[in-house]
Amino acid sequence: MSNYSQTSDDPLSRIARLPWLMLLIILGLAVFGIAVLYSATITNPTEASLPAVHAVRVGIAFAFLFMLAMTPLSVWSAISYGAYLGALLMLVGVEFFGATGGGAQRWLDIGPIRVQPSEFMKLALLLALARFYHQQLTNGRPRFYHHLIAAIMIGAPVLLVFRQPDLGTALMLGATGAAVMFFAGLRYWVIIVGLIAVVFSAPLAYFYVLKDYQRERVLTAIDPSRDPLGAGYQIQQAEIAIGSGGTDGRGYMNGTQSQLDYIPEQHTDFIFTVIAEEFGFVGSVSLLLAWAVVMGLGFMIAGRSRSHFGYLVSSGAVVTIAFYVFVNIGMVCGLLPVVGVPLPLISYGGTAMLTVMAALAVICATNLDRDRHLSISGLF
Amino acid sequence: MKKMKNVRKRQSAPVRELDTTRRLLIAGGAGGLVFGGLVGRLVNLQLFNQEKFEQMAEDNRISLMPAIPQRGLIYDRFGEPLATHRTSWNVYAAREDLPNLEDTLDRIADVVELSEERRERLMRMFRQEQRFIPVSILTDLTYEQFTRLSVLRTQLPGVTIESSQARSYPRGRDFAHIVGYVARANQREIDSALDGLDPKVPAQKEQRDRLTSVLKHPNMRVGRLGIEKELDDWLAGAPGYHKFIRNAQGRIKERLNDDEHAPKSGKDIHLTLDAGLQREAIRLFGEETGAAVVMDVASGDLLTLASVPTYDPNDFVNGISTADYNVLREDERSPLYHKAYDGTYPPGSTFKMVVGSAALREGVTNPAETVFCGGHYSFGNRRFHCWQRRGHGRLNMHEAIKHSCDVYFFEMARRLGPERIAQEAKAFGLGHSFELGMTGGATGVVPNDAWKRGRFNEPWYDGETINYGIGQGYLNVSPLQLAVMAARLAAGDGRQLMPKMIGSGPDIPDNQPYGDLPPLEIFQRLQAAMYGVTSEPGGTARAAGDINFQGYRMAGKTGTAQVRNISAAERATGVISNEDLPRRLRDHGLWVGFAPYENPKYAVAVVVEHSTRGSGKAYPIARDLMHAAFVMDSGRTPEYKIASGPSDSEAI
Repeated sequence: MSNYSQTSDDPLSRIARLPWLMLLIILGLAVFGIAVLYSATITNPTEASLPAVHAVRVGIAFAFLFMLAMTPLSVWSAISYGAYLGALLMLVGVEFFGATGGGAQRWLDIGPIRVQPSEFMKLALLLALARFYHQQLTNGRPRFYHHLIAAIMIGAPVLLVFRQPDLGTALMLGATGAAVMFFAGLRYWVIIVGLIAVVFSAPLAYFYVLKDYQRERVLTAIDPSRDPLGAGYQIQQAEIAIGSGGTDGRGYMNGTQSQLDYIPEQHTDFIFTVIAEEFGFVGSVSLLLAWAVVMGLGFMIAGRSRSHFGYLVSSGAVVTIAFYVFVNIGMVCGLLPVVGVPLPLISYGGTAMLTVMAALAVICATNLDRDRHLSISGLF
Repeated sequence: MKKMKNVRKRQSAPVRELDTTRRLLIAGGAGGLVFGGLVGRLVNLQLFNQEKFEQMAEDNRISLMPAIPQRGLIYDRFGEPLATHRTSWNVYAAREDLPNLEDTLDRIADVVELSEERRERLMRMFRQEQRFIPVSILTDLTYEQFTRLSVLRTQLPGVTIESSQARSYPRGRDFAHIVGYVARANQREIDSALDGLDPKVPAQKEQRDRLTSVLKHPNMRVGRLGIEKELDDWLAGAPGYHKFIRNAQGRIKERLNDDEHAPKSGKDIHLTLDAGLQREAIRLFGEETGAAVVMDVASGDLLTLASVPTYDPNDFVNGISTADYNVLREDERSPLYHKAYDGTYPPGSTFKMVVGSAALREGVTNPAETVFCGGHYSFGNRRFHCWQRRGHGRLNMHEAIKHSCDVYFFEMARRLGPERIAQEAKAFGLGHSFELGMTGGATGVVPNDAWKRGRFNEPWYDGETINYGIGQGYLNVSPLQLAVMAARLAAGDGRQLMPKMIGSGPDIPDNQPYGDLPPLEIFQRLQAAMYGVTSEPGGTARAAGDINFQGYRMAGKTGTAQVRNISAAERATGVISNEDLPRRLRDHGLWVGFAPYENPKYAVAVVVEHSTRGSGKAYPIARDLMHAAFVMDSGRTPEYKIASGPSDSEAI
């Protein structure tokens, strides 16, 4: 077994060991995304510059991805608690000094830069939990109170983000955190009890925790026709676009729903409608399959990791990506309420792309250092 | 087993202590379930329901907009346009296409004046109309308004700024009563168009909606009066639909060609009327009011059918204000009244040829027989006065017509009786509503015993017969009927000439003849007597004879139609002269005639209402009008006879 630790640290061989199939699929998706964005914005002169901006962002995001991917897992591990605490402080800062946008406080102005701590927290929480469980697992199976500490680590940012209010991100943080707890060995009966509790508390949450407009979104997702001119309009138009795509689509730049601007936000959160309309069932399922392959490869990398940290952080990263993809498509197809989750790499917008790229980078880094053990010394 | 793992601390391979592979597989399985769920949803939407959603996408994309057909034009005898089009820029929108009505109106009001009152009215109209019905926001934009709004166009999604063909009447006043005008369809017209379509039957409801959206379309006009109304089917064409591709904001992206639903243009109409002569007729009236008709003796073509005063039909096309309309309605000179066709007047002495014709045909007199006129005629215990208080002495029919002796015709009427007179009047075209292809048309009254019983539930009194002889009493005829009578007198061949106004256009129902006309020799005597009126010493209208055209002379007959009854007291104190009476009590002056006397070409009838000089105002107009008719019309072939049928290519 000792030969596993004898992997070369020569940069070229590290590059060669990157998960190239996964990266190629990601690159393909990004290029496809630029093309789809072009089609989604072509009819609107004010959006004419968006595909180019997006293309530049994709380039930057790939550079970012390669840079982070080459970062040793030990470095990721070392910064994890710091990143988590920093993100948490920023979330508290948002609570008190945050900028308001779209009815919610999400941004923090630091000098000229405007950051969205909740987005940063997605990765930081993942790293911190992985680090935490890595330590417990190295010492043996985590005990129940360890899971409780993890739950508190998850609960604090979820609560802060929910208060912004940003239901989508809060759910995403919660789901990712819960997934890491699961991967870290939370007992199955606890999980089953937890799932039952979630099912039974959902109605209570619906009536006592959610705000009116959030309840409205849930209702509209169930029955878009109840508000055909308001929130339901978007869902209905999206369904028409998807459905009219049929088997092989209406052809690139030929979707009437897309080209005549029937779907609000078709270049951001609802870009899947453009794919489904213009490339049909074949195109939309291919997109889903591409992401499924990326996720599968991510899980394989996680499974092969010699370190708990790499295993946990990679599997958690896959869940983060899966959450984006599945929730976005589920919401666009009318299966989930409209919660404002973009389709990574395809939707116009940089934040989610960076988060997903960071998640992919962590998976890549795990692959590079899959045979390495990590030390557990020190809390930080 | 699990406990064992907890106890064992395997630093070298810590991952093995946890069932990581199983947990990853569980997670992958959960992901697979979600994946399956999404694919299932896509199968349902894209594979099973593709057609439904394609149809919905199509309904989104395509919007049908009523396409208003181009209305046929109306021309005069020589191709001069009487009803045509001019380009008008209009702004309209349907509520369903507007993202926000108030916003839209605000933006429009930013650049063009939109009074608070008008704004409120628009808001009301938008609320009241069905969502798909376009409402007119502004009509007939000025150039400045148009350019300002055009700049704003991109900020006004759903609003249509469109040029349309607005109906225009270049000869406005001259043909107001004849051509009529078009107007926005009113509720009654819409209801009658929708009559018989059941809104509960889906197909019929769709048709109703389409018809409604056409009729309520801001550019749609329906014939409201005159030819425009009567011949609307011919002129209007058939509405169609334009198919547009619209984006979600309502902006039109593309117009699809769809010949099947293209509107069909209306067809043109050419009239027998001459716009030049019509204008001249109106001009000749000066300050007087009344009607003038000129008719071609050979064909029955009407060259002039003028009513004075008149109004501008262009005012009605976009809706006339109530105030302006009331001014027209309350004017005592009744400009809205189509006097030549709808008005009726006692024919007065112009009726004497009819009585003469009947008398000669019945043999109750002969051309040589004379009757003594002592200035009055006694019948029963009543005295009937001749207009010539001194009396005419003994005179035969020729003389009686020439001098317009009343006593002679009192006697003839007594000999004939009302039934025979009515029969002859009708044979000459009186009391007949002639179908010309426009709205209106008075029948008038040619009274007899049966008529009087029907009207007043009273028998005919013999005394009433006496006045009948000089065209007074219940007898009431239209200027058009007088012209027909004059034309039949002029033709003299026994043909029952019918008036005609449509040169080329739709078929007008035939006018049915009544009875028969006298033989040629009687006509010749009547014509000669009419010649005497203008051209022999003692004639009542000698100034009317010379029409100043190639030596042609006009034959004719004067008439004065009494508007009031002259009481015995007035007679005793002396009849007040017409000039001193209030206008509405003055007599009408009339003239019927034809020219040239030899081989007549045109017949004319003129009625001057409440004339200051009786028939003395009527025959100079007739003479000058006849002159103009020969100068302007004789020798010219109507344009519609030169062109091979009506040509659509002339449409602007």
